[in-house]
Amino acid sequence: MIMTKTHHKQRIGWGAAALLLLLACGLFAQQPPPTTDVAVIVNPLNPVESISSADLHKIFAGEKQSWGGNQPVFVFVRAPQAREREVLLERVMHMTESEYRQYWVKKLYSGEVQHEPLALMSNGMQLEAVRSDKGGIALISMQDVHPGVKVLKIDGHLPGTPGYLLK
Amino acid sequence: MYQSFILLIVVLCFSCPSYAQTADPVDQETVRALVKEVRELKARVVVLETKLGQAEERAAALEPGKPAEPPREPTQPAAGERESFNVLHGIKIQGFGELSNRTNDARPPEGASFGFRAGSASNFAIGDVDLFLTSQITRKAKVLAEVAFSETDTQEFETDVERMLLKYDLNDHLKMSFGRFHTATSYYNSIYHHGLWLQTAADRPLSVEFSDHGGLLPSQAVGVSLTGSIPSGALGLNYNFEYGSASTIRPFINAPDAGEVHEHNGNEITAGLFAKPDWLPGLEIGGSFYHDRLDPENTGVHIGQSIGSAHVVYATPKFEFINEAFFIQHEVQETGQTFNTPAFYSLISHKFGDKWRPYFRYQYANASDFSPLFADVGLRHGPSAGIRFDYNDYIAFKAQYDHTLRRRLPDIHGLWLQLAFRF
Repeated sequence: MIMTKTHHKQRIGWGAAALLLLLACGLFAQQPPPTTDVAVIVNPLNPVESISSADLHKIFAGEKQSWGGNQPVFVFVRAPQAREREVLLERVMHMTESEYRQYWVKKLYSGEVQHEPLALMSNGMQLEAVRSDKGGIALISMQDVHPGVKVLKIDGHLPGTPGYLLK
Repeated sequence: MYQSFILLIVVLCFSCPSYAQTADPVDQETVRALVKEVRELKARVVVLETKLGQAEERAAALEPGKPAEPPREPTQPAAGERESFNVLHGIKIQGFGELSNRTNDARPPEGASFGFRAGSASNFAIGDVDLFLTSQITRKAKVLAEVAFSETDTQEFETDVERMLLKYDLNDHLKMSFGRFHTATSYYNSIYHHGLWLQTAADRPLSVEFSDHGGLLPSQAVGVSLTGSIPSGALGLNYNFEYGSASTIRPFINAPDAGEVHEHNGNEITAGLFAKPDWLPGLEIGGSFYHDRLDPENTGVHIGQSIGSAHVVYATPKFEFINEAFFIQHEVQETGQTFNTPAFYSLISHKFGDKWRPYFRYQYANASDFSPLFADVGLRHGPSAGIRFDYNDYIAFKAQYDHTLRRRLPDIHGLWLQLAFRF
């Protein structure tokens, strides 16, 4: 009888501990994930080291379509809902998603651009695309940047430094 | 023992937040600053690691006597070895269509256009069915074609290859197009083509209307078109140059079945310059000059045609302010007579929310009653006011009221209702 009572108390104890652990996990999960800056990446063979915010806008707006030396620019963007796309629309293009889509229909139809930016589903695909294409450029969260691409400064600022555009 | 252990966990769990809540504000500030600094340092470490990786790769490639190591990551494939992500072969097709109802009180009735029946006070038409085809051939070359099926006043359709271009972009400074193109005689003609969904208003201003719908400018030509940017820093200068053969057939617009004139254009030359300054994205200021020689059928005269245009445009996704002015000169070579036709339009619109875009337009064209080509136009001017509702990214409704004043003729009041879409 005494053993049964002790076991019962032990079970209650373990249950309370598990409940507390779950509560702690829940509280932790509710905290917003830390956001990192979004980097502009290009192929390592691209000689460009820094880009102005005006040129960044021109590239993603299809106004600037070649790097120096006749190398065409290939713009890769993330598909809708991704943070990189939100940063692109808010900080670079100053458009809503709908305005961005309409903008590119008009741009393509006017014949001013060869093609619209290629929308990719993941940052891994963006990395692979920029690594494999000498003229490639994409926006990607700093935490997902890996060797094989080059991170550009914007207006002389690296990601993570004060004054950086794509926060 | 277990009870004590659980009690200890509970006490610890509750004591940590309470400690954090009662901590000194200065300490909290310090912690925040430290966390921010750690984050920034982490970002810098990633950048430095990336740079270090690149430097090691370069050093390994440059080190003499050392056998080249295979690259860790694929960087640049040899030409022809691997397709770019962006070179997607095949033909991409997009379409544009519309359904319109136009009502007006023109007395006497005017000519037919856009599928509307001549003389009818109100009828429906679908206007143009426009197919837009593009195909990327190489990284720098593509083919662009635009085929329009235009409704006549008898609900039959005429096929017209509006644009058919092989485009080759060497770089930002030299972009070449070969084939049939819309001339750079106006900003509107360069930016807006068939497909009324693309433009804010229900119709094009008369001065930049397609010539086969009664417009004043030669809207198409076959030949070579060059455009590109001029190194000019923040001023953002661009040029365009065209050399080709226009072939303008223009209907008279002032009466039903009034016929049309084939202008038999000679070769045309167009040169234009425009600025898109960095300091105000959306602003464009420029102009162009066009010249060709006409041999209009059944007139027995030869006419030198010169067209000067200037535009000031500020267009953003929310706000649009388009202004263009034209000076069209026809010089009859046999008599030495000169006929000048000034024209302009101005359109302003603002988008409210994601759906509604009210707009206002004023247009003006003043041709001599004795003009060998534009006598049917005469003086026409007046306002248009309308609203566009974007149901989604594909479908838009437009309602537009027009008031047109004419020389020695009654005013025209008109109403356009339009459902424009893309697919």
